Amino acid sequence: MAMETSFALILPVAFLAGKVSPALRNVVAVLAAAVSVLLVAVLYGQNLKLDYYALPFLGVELAMRTDALAWFFAIAVAAIGLLSIVFSLRYMQGRERLDFYYFAMLVVNAAMLGIVFSADLLSLFVFWEVMSWSTYLLISYRGGKAVAAGLKYMVMSIAGSCAMLLAIASLYATCGTLDLHGVAQGIAKASPGYSLFILLMFVLGFGIKNAIVPLHVWLPDAHSEAVSPFSAVLSSVLVRMGVYGLMLVMYGVLGEAGLARLKLGPVTFRHVLCWVAGVTILVPLLIAMLQDDAKRVVAWSSVGHGGYMLLGIAFGTALGVAGGLFHTLNYAVCVALLFLAVGAVEHRTGTRDLNELGGLMKRMPVTFVTALIAVCGLIGVPLTNGFVSKWFIYKTLITEGYPFLALVALIGTWATVLYGYKLIHNAFLGQLPSGYREVREVPFSMQLPMILLSLAVILFGVLPGIAVRAIGSAQASLGLKALESGLWALPPAVGELNTINILSGVIASLALVYVAFALATKARRVDQSDSYGAGSYVPMDRYQYSVNFYQRAHELIGPYVRDRVDEFYRWLVGKAEGFFEQARKMYSGNVNTYAAYIVIFLALLIILKLGGQI
Amino acid sequence: MVSPSLLVAIPLASAFAAPLVGLGSKKLAKCIPPLALAANLVIGLLLLPRVLEKAIVVSIGGFPPPFCINLMVGPLGLSLAILISLVGLLISIYATGYIKTEPTEKYHALFLLLATGALGIVLTGDIFNLFVFFEILCVASYGLTAYEKDRAGTEAAMKYLIQGTVGSTFILVAIGFLYGLFGTLNMADIATKVPSAEPLHLFLILAFFVVGFGVEAAIFPLNAWLPDAHSSAPSSVSAILSAIAIKTGVYAIARITYTLMNAQGFLIFISLIGIITLVVGEIAAYRQKDDIKRMLAYSSIGQIGLIVFAIGIGTSLGVFGALFQLVNHALAKCLLFLAAGYMIYRAGSKKLSDMQGLARRMPLTAVAFTVAAFSLVGLPPFAGFMSKLSIVSAALKTGRSAYVAFAAIALAATVVEGGYFFRVVQGLYFRGGSKGESVGPTKAKEAPAAALIPILVLAALVIAIGVYPQLVTNVLDHAAKELLDRGAYITNVLEAL
Repeated sequence: MAMETSFALILPVAFLAGKVSPALRNVVAVLAAAVSVLLVAVLYGQNLKLDYYALPFLGVELAMRTDALAWFFAIAVAAIGLLSIVFSLRYMQGRERLDFYYFAMLVVNAAMLGIVFSADLLSLFVFWEVMSWSTYLLISYRGGKAVAAGLKYMVMSIAGSCAMLLAIASLYATCGTLDLHGVAQGIAKASPGYSLFILLMFVLGFGIKNAIVPLHVWLPDAHSEAVSPFSAVLSSVLVRMGVYGLMLVMYGVLGEAGLARLKLGPVTFRHVLCWVAGVTILVPLLIAMLQDDAKRVVAWSSVGHGGYMLLGIAFGTALGVAGGLFHTLNYAVCVALLFLAVGAVEHRTGTRDLNELGGLMKRMPVTFVTALIAVCGLIGVPLTNGFVSKWFIYKTLITEGYPFLALVALIGTWATVLYGYKLIHNAFLGQLPSGYREVREVPFSMQLPMILLSLAVILFGVLPGIAVRAIGSAQASLGLKALESGLWALPPAVGELNTINILSGVIASLALVYVAFALATKARRVDQSDSYGAGSYVPMDRYQYSVNFYQRAHELIGPYVRDRVDEFYRWLVGKAEGFFEQARKMYSGNVNTYAAYIVIFLALLIILKLGGQI
Repeated sequence: MVSPSLLVAIPLASAFAAPLVGLGSKKLAKCIPPLALAANLVIGLLLLPRVLEKAIVVSIGGFPPPFCINLMVGPLGLSLAILISLVGLLISIYATGYIKTEPTEKYHALFLLLATGALGIVLTGDIFNLFVFFEILCVASYGLTAYEKDRAGTEAAMKYLIQGTVGSTFILVAIGFLYGLFGTLNMADIATKVPSAEPLHLFLILAFFVVGFGVEAAIFPLNAWLPDAHSSAPSSVSAILSAIAIKTGVYAIARITYTLMNAQGFLIFISLIGIITLVVGEIAAYRQKDDIKRMLAYSSIGQIGLIVFAIGIGTSLGVFGALFQLVNHALAKCLLFLAAGYMIYRAGSKKLSDMQGLARRMPLTAVAFTVAAFSLVGLPPFAGFMSKLSIVSAALKTGRSAYVAFAAIALAATVVEGGYFFRVVQGLYFRGGSKGESVGPTKAKEAPAAALIPILVLAALVIAIGVYPQLVTNVLDHAAKELLDRGAYITNVLEAL
């Protein structure tokens, strides 16, 4: 465990190595990421605690710990961090300031590992902040529109962090310690109102990171404007640090008993959170459908699926929490894959505007297949990982008797199908514009992460028990009821799902179909441009079916699913800047006024004393 | 055994030596401030272990207190003296290359007088002596503000002069009142006699003192001189003013409130004023896009507001947080002004839009600027985080809802602070065209060595204190306890000799 903490020292080495030679720096970066994966893997199943730093003036000891929940998130962070860095090797070649880029990627990686391994709230906060500012620098790294996106992200992140700091300092004042167990015990003795205040502050902080509506406005800009490997890391694991934090605070600190106390009549805090999650699923996923920029589609999908995770976690049943956590992992894999695939397309074609792309299936087959698998995972096609986690969530919502939430979850999937198809169709299917006829597949070092991730999608879909067992231990470590599961089957008591049965069913039907086609007459191959034009000539390039895809949807629902929250924030910032300008004018420049301020202030003090007896 | 009076005597003597040496050789004259302040730093560090155990009292003239003017060198005084010497040393190294307008030896003389004034304020035990050193500090800073002899500097210095004089007059009135009431000017002696006076008289004196020193301490609404003065002065002067001069005003207010008057009921009002200063300062700083030094000046106002808020918390952790924030702000703000000095010089303009992309040509300066900016916003692992954490914890520990509300407002102001600092950092690094385009005048290159050394040393200190706060927390803890412990102060002074 001590190795974990000391490996962070290697980070500046990557930066300096870059000054020596770019190849050396790349090797160092990949090695550092790989070593972190190995170190995390070694910690599987262990429960350790390590005090690493003491702050005598505050009387706190900073400590790190590993348990099942921490390990679950850590392995995802480390693995996806490694894959992004491998992808960056060729993707980022030729850009400037690469030393800084690799340094920052490693810092973000290390900070996230620090967050999940923290045993006390102060460590959590320190690593959270380090992650925030390095993310901000890395988002802005691209220049251009990314700079404004980075600023928006950072200001919102700081706001969330200040809320968290208030809560942490308050817990320190009340409980005398910042250790998670100590805080849990201390808060059990406090009033429900105080618990609600603390929980709200943390929900604010973690919710801004996880992009819950209405705190999500930074995400679409930031994720679409950052460079693709980093967008992959951002969307898959960085925002899910919010999920980790919420699990920690809701179940680790407050506990189920503490949460049950927070209610107003029949409406508990859990209900409110579930409905917030529902809104987060509904509106962003519909907005995703209407986007033209491939990365914005995926970014809005990130917002929406965060709602699924929150829904599962807030719902509280064993199946629900497991579904929420499993969806975190599954979605992480799928969205990282999607961002890498979109990045690959952008790398070769130079654009990510869905109105201009098309037909890349023939030129970039590997990218197409992996992107297709990712979209299937997102939708929840059986045999993919997304199916299992979404199935958990639907099942628990329906059996517990929450039809409206179940309907919202299902509408979310419907919207996912629509935007997933738009992504695949506009980029890969349809006609290949003449400008892209020479596009080649991306190099192997960029294909490798995509292939590995798509394998993971299928693996967790067919053998979900691998992950669900780990999630079960995580639930147990927080004192929740754990979900029992076999390697591919869930017992009927908790839900009844058997993926191997599904797999055999699919294979059997595919076999039948294959036999049927083999026995039938040969199909006649027709060229794509051999189309019916009713006698007139069909010009190839001007008939791009992907332009203005879903035009009817734009007309129907566009006016209703605008991002009103973003507009509200812009209005708020404008008003605030106006107020700031007025406030600044107190310093008018006239020294007589200034001298008068001094004398008036003194007079005010004396009058207040004489009159009010301060 | 070194006498602590050297801490004041050396800079004072060097201030007179500088023009004399300058008559012979200008180059030698600019080496005198660094040498003097380095000697001060060494003496201060040598005295520190002794002082942490028991304060040293030095009686000037051989008379026993309370009949003499005495220096009271306790942990608080000495730690601030060490800070002043360190910051002054680094700025004077910077100034050897930066100050080019003639007459440079007079600049160095004024600079040393400013340092003398500051050192005298924190080390003295006599209230009128405090006023004398305060005036030395103020007059030196009026002169230094006008040093560039341009329109903006002269106007700023005049405004500063007028407001500073109003403040000094109020201080003098208060001292007169004090002397009339108690017949003594020795701070420990006054402290013993204070309980016997009428509360209304004491409040009047306190009000005059707070407003008088508050002008220099830059609390709202007395701080209108600060943006003009700190932005129009040469950068090394802005650095010393922001880092040291305004802190002495805060020190004076703290000393008078806690040690002299023991005004516990007044503390919440001090916190309120601090929070208002913080909010107004950060709000105004956010609007400054045309002048980076004005932005930094308003930011200083904001941070002083935070320090004053923490002073008003009244507990040991609160005062410790205030002192820690004071140290961190001094280091970070000094670094920011020093870096900004060369950034403005190389970019040819003070506007933020003209400094975009400057990090390509001035990488080290830009990194140092970023480190200081992050430290002030309060991001770990830099120094500012630890002090902000201490202040917020102290405020929440008091359990009073007013302080909880103030802490929440302080954190909200941090968001605004983040807004403008991050804007600048982004502009330095990520805006401003690709490597082919030239940004600003083509002569932009890294700052010279004489400037880079202090900048990098300060950046290293900010990072070191952030990662390992134990470097300073022990001393500051003792200092905080000294401020709160009136009885010990009185006995230390009156039983000496």
